[in-house]
Amino acid sequence: MKKYALYPGCVMPTEQYALEMSVREVLPLFDVKLVDLKGFSCCGEPLKSVNQMLTLTLSARNLAIAEKEGLDVLAPCPMCHLALSNCKRILDKDPKMNERINKFLEDEGLKYTGTANIIHTIELLHNVIGIEKIKEKVKKPLKEFKVATHYGCHLFRPSEVGRPVDSENPQEIENILKAIGVKPIEYPEKLDCCGGLLTANLPESALTKTGQKLQRVQEQGFDVFIDVCPWCHRQYDAKQIKAGETVAAKLEIPVLYLTQLLGLSLGISKDKLGLDLNLSPIDKLNLGGK
Amino acid sequence: MSITDLTSMGEPQTEFRKEINERLCKLQDEISDYCFQCAKCTSGCEAHKLLELEPHKIIALLKRGLIDEMVNSDIIWTCMSCFKCHERCPQKVAPVEVLFLLKNLAVASGKQIPGNYTAMLQSVLSMGLLQEVKSITTRENKTKTRSNLGLPDISKPTDPTKFQTMLSKIAIEKI
Repeated sequence: MKKYALYPGCVMPTEQYALEMSVREVLPLFDVKLVDLKGFSCCGEPLKSVNQMLTLTLSARNLAIAEKEGLDVLAPCPMCHLALSNCKRILDKDPKMNERINKFLEDEGLKYTGTANIIHTIELLHNVIGIEKIKEKVKKPLKEFKVATHYGCHLFRPSEVGRPVDSENPQEIENILKAIGVKPIEYPEKLDCCGGLLTANLPESALTKTGQKLQRVQEQGFDVFIDVCPWCHRQYDAKQIKAGETVAAKLEIPVLYLTQLLGLSLGISKDKLGLDLNLSPIDKLNLGGK
Repeated sequence: MSITDLTSMGEPQTEFRKEINERLCKLQDEISDYCFQCAKCTSGCEAHKLLELEPHKIIALLKRGLIDEMVNSDIIWTCMSCFKCHERCPQKVAPVEVLFLLKNLAVASGKQIPGNYTAMLQSVLSMGLLQEVKSITTRENKTKTRSNLGLPDISKPTDPTKFQTMLSKIAIEKI
């Protein structure tokens, strides 16, 4: 059995409950134990524009909490995963910065030593658990949906920091989807940004970015749009109608988290995967079951 | 400890500002050597078409030392942090990182922070997270909370006072 500290971040545990529910349901089926720890805070990445020292300190603080328990960290949010990975990269090779950040952490009795590794859900499913194992566990192969995938920028860039998937042609989500019987199809806009980070200061522009991508997805006749990032999902799912208005289009694209679709194929009930929480029109997929 | 300290609208964050300035000056030298204005960054920039951000021009201005002008400009706040320019720059200049520094300097110089950043910062200072735990609405218009959905209590700093003390030190750090 593999054990990880679940690092929830901010967006997932304060509003994107479907992601948290589906991650908590799916991973234990593959012999992964998720441990809840007290005391985590924001990873700091959304505030990088304000103060980078703050970002670095907050990330180091969260890693230190996991280190105290001797656990590696699972970060389902790509932005958190990037912040934590970047923090580890900087502090492990810059002793001066390491010392400086650790001075801040003293107050809470924490110390960053660099023992905890950081992993993302996709990495865990694709590289650690493996496609074969996923295939074995499929109970309910899904219909041959025509699927558009969306990785989210922070999952694959910048590769200098060490990202879970390739920066120009990631195929991990596609491989997982093929394993559960659905049909991912490449499209030119696959790696386009959702614009979600602009929500803080230019919300209209953020919605336009979201709308532009979804409009192209709809025009190309996809049945469903699969994402993994709580920031992206908030844009594509909860804000879909508003995003459509910014590009004068009526958008009706079902948007699901990868772990939700995976969970369904593994025979987990709809309730447990939070399928009633998606605000995009997923009912038209006729996913069946309870 | 208040938000004013961390953004230094009240007091100048001298040390932090000096540090960013030094990094920018160092970058200015390095960039003069490296960036040859191929504009690969701008051609792929996610914010280019929509908001007219042109990363290669930002770098060109930095080369000429026009740091204050950029710090006072709104254009630095249009970056979506997609890191494409970081990934694709053939000379490893990474305009997105330069933009982060410029924005940091704008904040540390006491220039107003745009939009919701103030609220996000305030929220992290007071409770450790970007926003409060929300109750949400399902497609059928039912309200749900974390406990309704069988999720455990949220993880957040256990001692807010100590957490704030730590953050306040970042704000007033003197070396």
